Amino acid sequence: MSQQMAKGRTLTFSIFRYDPQMPDDKPKMVDYQIEEAPGMTVFIALNQLREQQDPSLQFDFVCRAGICGSCAMVINGMPTLACRTLTSKFADGKIKLMPLPGFELIGDLSVNTGKFMREIAERLKLWLHPKTGDDDIHRLEAPMSPEEAAKLYELERCVECGVCVSACATKQMRDTFVGAVGLMKIARFELDSRDARSADDFYHVIGNQDGVFGCMTLLGCQDNCPKDLPHMQQIAYLRRKMAVTLV
Amino acid sequence: MRTLTDTTALFKQKVASAWSAKADRLQSATGILLGCFLLVHLHFESSILFGKEAFYHVVQFLEGGMFSETGHGYPLLTSIFSTFLLVVVLVHAAFALRRFPAQIGQWRALRSQMQVVNHSDTRVWFWQLVSGFILFFLVPVHLYTMIATPEIGPHLSAERVYHDNAWLLYIVLLPAVVVHAMFGLYRVAVKWGISANRTGLRKLAHILVVYLMVIGLLSLGQYMMIGSELTLPIEPFRP
Repeated sequence: MSQQMAKGRTLTFSIFRYDPQMPDDKPKMVDYQIEEAPGMTVFIALNQLREQQDPSLQFDFVCRAGICGSCAMVINGMPTLACRTLTSKFADGKIKLMPLPGFELIGDLSVNTGKFMREIAERLKLWLHPKTGDDDIHRLEAPMSPEEAAKLYELERCVECGVCVSACATKQMRDTFVGAVGLMKIARFELDSRDARSADDFYHVIGNQDGVFGCMTLLGCQDNCPKDLPHMQQIAYLRRKMAVTLV
Repeated sequence: MRTLTDTTALFKQKVASAWSAKADRLQSATGILLGCFLLVHLHFESSILFGKEAFYHVVQFLEGGMFSETGHGYPLLTSIFSTFLLVVVLVHAAFALRRFPAQIGQWRALRSQMQVVNHSDTRVWFWQLVSGFILFFLVPVHLYTMIATPEIGPHLSAERVYHDNAWLLYIVLLPAVVVHAMFGLYRVAVKWGISANRTGLRKLAHILVVYLMVIGLLSLGQYMMIGSELTLPIEPFRP
């Protein structure tokens, strides 16, 4: 192994820095250099930077394994999860990090996706509405077929990272648009046989300009979703179904 | 029990939903119609590349030459069809307007998102937006010309392009309409799930843009050349 390989490349991170809590602070890009280690992810590099160079650097993380969806940020123009992005992917060793656009900025790379997700869940009522009697905890829950469970699981994989919201120019332009995460979750509850809501109830929530007919098919959601959820097919399916039902 | 206000609100919501669905369907349907028409139209007008006679026969066929006594057809058909297309364009534009970032804040949000996020389909849509805006102004001019002076032929068209300076219109109209229509057809196909082969569709749209630009520019050059050789007043071409 050459000396260069053993030592590892020097990576240059260009990171967006801004603390809205500081009255005199102004948004700026700050460069940091770090030695690359084998198997290093952007998340590992950021932790190292914070430990060794700048303890004031703000970014979110919890699980380190692409499950919690906390570490989403824009990495070299692509909104994605820092914990699932290997630094070796970038041949020139230059990595630019920006916070996800479209969310309230907490500071630097940290944004308040939780606030957005809560608001959308409350607005679209994204929780199970049990059928009458099903909410009795003394009764056995009706069994679900494995096929239905598998279908639900596919849509349930969303980690609410906010990537689809940031990658969607439609959502950035129209604040009231529910975005791919809203449509995906509605589709999930529509499939669930335990939910008391009728197809009509769901359609009145998203069968309009703020829902499926507001989507302009820019496909930022499809191309950037770190969980590879089938946004394009799902939205096309909802659109076709509703275009027939509502007209 | 539902109150009258609840019922009215529900009714309004239903009407709004139905209109949203209708608007999306109409925008797509008129877009498909116009995109397919463009594909055919550019091929017909490019028949000039095979010579004056080839173009003359295409025009006579489309103007219903076989049904006229002289065999020259009826230019009125061009006027009628152009009027129909103008109506389709107006419907398409009216429904597409709701997609425009009409407020300055929306425009800034779009531009700043595009600066941070590098996404090819968003860029393609942006160019569709720009070309759509250009087409608002140029398509009615082109269609009005065809409604008011529907006479088409190798010499008549060349006169329009060269002596009446219509090339100034076409040199901007051609790239705008080709980009808008081909990527529009691609978007409609993925939007309604007509095809799941997105990569193939996108490649096809790129190929068609290049191909239509080539035949469009070559035929425009041909009309310019024919026009420059004509002396005024021109004589309509007869084979």
